Amino acid sequence: MEQEHIIEMLHITKEFPGIIANDDVTLRLRKGEIHALLGENGAGKSTLMSVLFGLYQPEKGEIRKNGQPVSIKNPNDATALGIGMVHQHFKLIEVFTVLDNIVLGAETTKLGFLQKREARKKVEALSERYGLKVDLDAKVEDITVGMQQRVEILKMLYRDNEILIFDEPTAVLTPQEIDELMATMKEFAREGKSILFISHKLNEIMEVSDRVTVLRKGRHVSTVDTKDVDKQTLSGMMVGRPVQLEIQKEPAKPGEVILELSHFTVPSRDRRHRDSVRDVNLQIRAGEIVCIAGIDGNGQTEFVYGLTGLERSTGRITLCGKDVSNAGIRARGADMSHIPEDRHKHGLVLDFTLEQNMVLQRFRGAPFQKAGFIDNRAVRGYAEKLIGQFDVRSGQGPVTVARSMSGGNQQKAIIARELDRDKALVVAVQPTRGLDVGAIEYIHSQLVQERDAGKAILLVSLELDEVMSLSDRILVMYEGEIVGELDPKQTTVQELGLYMAGAKRGTERGETA
Amino acid sequence: MKNSLLHKDGVRAAFAAIVSILIGLAAGSVLVLIMGLTNDTLGLSGALDGMRLIFGGLFATGRNASGGLTFGFNPASMGNMLFRATPLILTGLSVAVAYKTGLFNIGAPGQYLMGTAATLVIALGIPTSVVPAPLLWLLAFVGGVLAGALWGCLPGLLKAFLNINEVLACIMTNWISANLVTWIFDKSQFCNMVENTKTGYIYKTTYGLTRAADGAGVFTDAAGASWTYVDGAGVATGKLGLDKLFPGSQVNGGILIAIVIAVAVYILMTKTTLGYQLKACGANRHAARYAGISDRRNIVLSMAIAGALAGAAASLYYLSGNTEFYWTSAYQSLPAAGFNGIPVALLAANHPIAVIFTGMFMSMLNIVGLQMKNLTAYNEYIADVIVAVIVYLSAFSLVIKLFLGRLPAHKAGAGHVSSGGETPPAQPEKGGEET
Amino acid sequence: MTFLIQQTLLYTVPLMIVALAGVFAERSGIINLALEGIMIFGAFVGVLFVRIVQPLEVFAAAKAAGDWVTLQGLELLAMLVSAALGAIFSLLLSFASVNLRADQTIGGTALNLLAPALVLFLIRILAGQNTLLIDGDAASWFMLKNSLFGMGRTEKGGFLWETFVNKSYIATYVCILIFAVLSVLLYKTRFGLRLRSCGENPQAADSLGINVYRMRYAGTTISGALAGLGGFVYALTTANCASTGDVAGFGFLALAVMIFGNWKPLNIAGASLLFGLFKCVAASYTSLDVNGDGVFLLAELGVSPHLYRMLPYLITLIVLAFTSKRSRAPKAEGIPYDKGQR
Repeated sequence: MEQEHIIEMLHITKEFPGIIANDDVTLRLRKGEIHALLGENGAGKSTLMSVLFGLYQPEKGEIRKNGQPVSIKNPNDATALGIGMVHQHFKLIEVFTVLDNIVLGAETTKLGFLQKREARKKVEALSERYGLKVDLDAKVEDITVGMQQRVEILKMLYRDNEILIFDEPTAVLTPQEIDELMATMKEFAREGKSILFISHKLNEIMEVSDRVTVLRKGRHVSTVDTKDVDKQTLSGMMVGRPVQLEIQKEPAKPGEVILELSHFTVPSRDRRHRDSVRDVNLQIRAGEIVCIAGIDGNGQTEFVYGLTGLERSTGRITLCGKDVSNAGIRARGADMSHIPEDRHKHGLVLDFTLEQNMVLQRFRGAPFQKAGFIDNRAVRGYAEKLIGQFDVRSGQGPVTVARSMSGGNQQKAIIARELDRDKALVVAVQPTRGLDVGAIEYIHSQLVQERDAGKAILLVSLELDEVMSLSDRILVMYEGEIVGELDPKQTTVQELGLYMAGAKRGTERGETA
Repeated sequence: MKNSLLHKDGVRAAFAAIVSILIGLAAGSVLVLIMGLTNDTLGLSGALDGMRLIFGGLFATGRNASGGLTFGFNPASMGNMLFRATPLILTGLSVAVAYKTGLFNIGAPGQYLMGTAATLVIALGIPTSVVPAPLLWLLAFVGGVLAGALWGCLPGLLKAFLNINEVLACIMTNWISANLVTWIFDKSQFCNMVENTKTGYIYKTTYGLTRAADGAGVFTDAAGASWTYVDGAGVATGKLGLDKLFPGSQVNGGILIAIVIAVAVYILMTKTTLGYQLKACGANRHAARYAGISDRRNIVLSMAIAGALAGAAASLYYLSGNTEFYWTSAYQSLPAAGFNGIPVALLAANHPIAVIFTGMFMSMLNIVGLQMKNLTAYNEYIADVIVAVIVYLSAFSLVIKLFLGRLPAHKAGAGHVSSGGETPPAQPEKGGEET
Repeated sequence: MTFLIQQTLLYTVPLMIVALAGVFAERSGIINLALEGIMIFGAFVGVLFVRIVQPLEVFAAAKAAGDWVTLQGLELLAMLVSAALGAIFSLLLSFASVNLRADQTIGGTALNLLAPALVLFLIRILAGQNTLLIDGDAASWFMLKNSLFGMGRTEKGGFLWETFVNKSYIATYVCILIFAVLSVLLYKTRFGLRLRSCGENPQAADSLGINVYRMRYAGTTISGALAGLGGFVYALTTANCASTGDVAGFGFLALAVMIFGNWKPLNIAGASLLFGLFKCVAASYTSLDVNGDGVFLLAELGVSPHLYRMLPYLITLIVLAFTSKRSRAPKAEGIPYDKGQR
């Protein structure tokens, strides 16, 4: 009954300074199957796949192909064995053309000179056969994220890979694009290619995979046939305890208008392109969570930059009754706190200590500043208070260098700082990105608490589950415009997906463009 | 615990600096040895003398009757070391302050030149009969500082508003100032015409503008009055008794002013809100902006402070009363005092107090170079070679520091990763992304 | 006009080749601030080489016999030597920035400090003064002259001959050839494609099996060779084959040209021409007779010579101010690549 395994990863252990990312993990991939690898952020899925792809060398363990031990020291070895990978963060050269990206590393040459004509023919044939449409002469920076993913898939096919690794491939796609990807993956499997599919999204795993291997905290939990389990069981395996899939919250009680935008527009930084955000009109009231949903790159980032003052905008911004359209970042900060999208870029000064980071906006004011000097004792006391209140954990308390803290605790520190500033409007951008379930639950409950305390909360999220469960109203952004307003209680993920893909516009249900 | 760790980090930085210095001196010795062995005029004995001077040049007192090198306390060398350390400490501070704000101030030579020009023009352009000497000294000093600050602002503005790489902007402004300064002095009244042995030099500041009998002066002003320069009628930094301590040297109160400024910079950077803002911009420009700190303003401010410090360096150097500015070829080469601020700052890991010591060390090397030139057939450029090697090493001082950190039994780094409860067994330093 | 073109070329060619040196380093992801230092070093090595081999029988005889082909061979040999030593010198930068992941700006600055110090130290010991000269002058040894081709003293060739052959150096044309070949290499070959990928996204290159470390070494080494070569050519053609531990900020100007040329060879060639012209004007405005009517127009304008000398730098800044918004540096330049953190 033992089926043929094309790849076996046996007892893999991979350590990084201070942590064991993979601890005695075994994974067997059968020929022609779609094998899902399930685990939380930080469970060690990507590390395991990087080992298989030759990016990391494991301390212990063995990899076999068709029963024969193989050594994979670098991506070249992996490619030679027919292993290809679509990375979570695409490995593309933005200024190169699509064709150059596909051939890079596997070029056909004559006397060292590139022979692109043959390559072009081969790629065109492949893209025809699998319906992976791309413009070979376009520069990667000019094409959509979905198309970039097709380039990544074509890269694998171009190298005639038969073992395909997909690392969180759906995070950047619309529900409809996800369906297409699933179909393509099934098509590959039918042709005898073997697929490893990394995800933490249970729906997709249930739909597409034949078997599932679950990792938790670097350890192998179990490998099961997908048809023998349900979502609840899988999520239990993944987290290690029963999980509340729903967020507990009362219906919202919206109060007065806190933020009003009219004809809000953010011009593109590059004059060649259209405005990043176009003519947005919206109101957010005290006591509600309003979510801006959309596919990554549809102007959400620029929207937040424009709103908080990081970038120039036109139109009118009224915050707590004051016109702040031309106000600077600091002036807007008087009534607005901002949990930024990128905690390393904006959220923290990584080389500062935790306590210095805690007063990033407040260092000028009493009681932290006296006659131009910083009162270190006041800063220390304040940081200690927040650390206790929000349970921020770190090696050395207030004097820990922020860089040395875990991602979850860095995010908690930012949330502590921003919520304690106690502003009428809280702008939270992807506040749970890259965090584990425990931290996510905590942050969600904090946001709900703030809402109930009468704050207006503007949430920007790419996670549909988060959008559906946390928000009181959903605004969908597509190509810089708000194309629809939805009530999370009355809409479905599919309908939301249509708006996100730009296939549908208008407010509330029924109205189609 | 926290203090001991901070302490340890400082100790490690100091060790890294000392290792760099030792390797630099060793590299210099090897070069001297190789040249000695391959060159007949130098020979092995010459090479050995050279190597002894590299390590002990500050204490060299000359050669005895039998031609052997003699060593001992040399007050002149010691005093000159302090004198030459003055501008080095200040340009070192200049580079360090900019570096803390994330800027590489390679423009110190230009700022130094502008400081030189402003100081000399003020000190030599106003007679002490009009403005009393102490006040004129202060005016000249402040003028030099301001000129440096203004010149520092330029690359700062270009960086902040046009996003031009400050290194490139600094290099260009350096050469512009070099030409500008030559231009300023070309055909000016400040070129030394009194001592006919001097061509191409500007007066020392001890020379003062003095009225002369009609036709007897060296130049005539617009009103037709004749003026000349008289030694002793000008201004000079007070000796403050240091000349008694180090007889035969050029030392003056400037070194004390430099040390006071270093302490002030230290306080500014570590204790004030301004320092906090500058450092925040340097460590993460985006985060600073996010928090409502104006990154542009701080970039310009930081370069202005850096320029002011480099200007102060020039002011104190030329106000000493025993230095002359050679203007004719100023446009061809940039002043070394400006560039040498870079090694001074790097070796001090940009710590303002440490800059005092590394500045003295660099000026000691300078003395070593001079002694090499005076006492052996080698030349003073060996000191520059040693400095360059030290800078090269300080480029990866982090690696040296890590290496030193690994030497003791305790493991650095691994120990302090979060003990967080619900977070997974801690992620690598980079934080929350998938591993 | 002939004079103007010749003089401009003399400045343009070293600038162009050294700017291309910058391109190869930066396209592979390493900021090479040390161009100036490597030029100084290359100039020294080339001049020293010429000085050492000049007394050799074969060259001395060739000089005496007016055998210009052999002497041109010597020139090419010296170019080769300065390129090789420049490449070796640049290994200091590669080692620091690739293997030790050091700050590339500081590493480059160190080389910029090291080169003149080392060169002056050696020159003083070797020559007893601050300038290292060859035996005789560059023109009599290496310059192409009408007399070499059997033309009479008063005989003149056509405009093209007079401009591009008479009183020119073969080094100029070798550099232009190298520039063209390397530009093709950068865009049309596998090596070039891979090199460029390492300066844009080394993580991606690595995931495709490209050895980023090796590519960065290659880029920096080519850069060192070109800068060393450029240094010698500069010394040979504009400084009478003398090494003084100084190339008057040419390496830095080349960096500006590279940025102005947007890291693209063709644009760089154009930018070099522009800057070469300004440099030429600054250096020889007094003897510049633009339209050949015997009037030295620029000198008679009465503008201070200091202004002319300042002009190249001033123009650089102004040009950068206008182009910096559009300029696009290789994305990963200056960032050390750490295999462990992909």
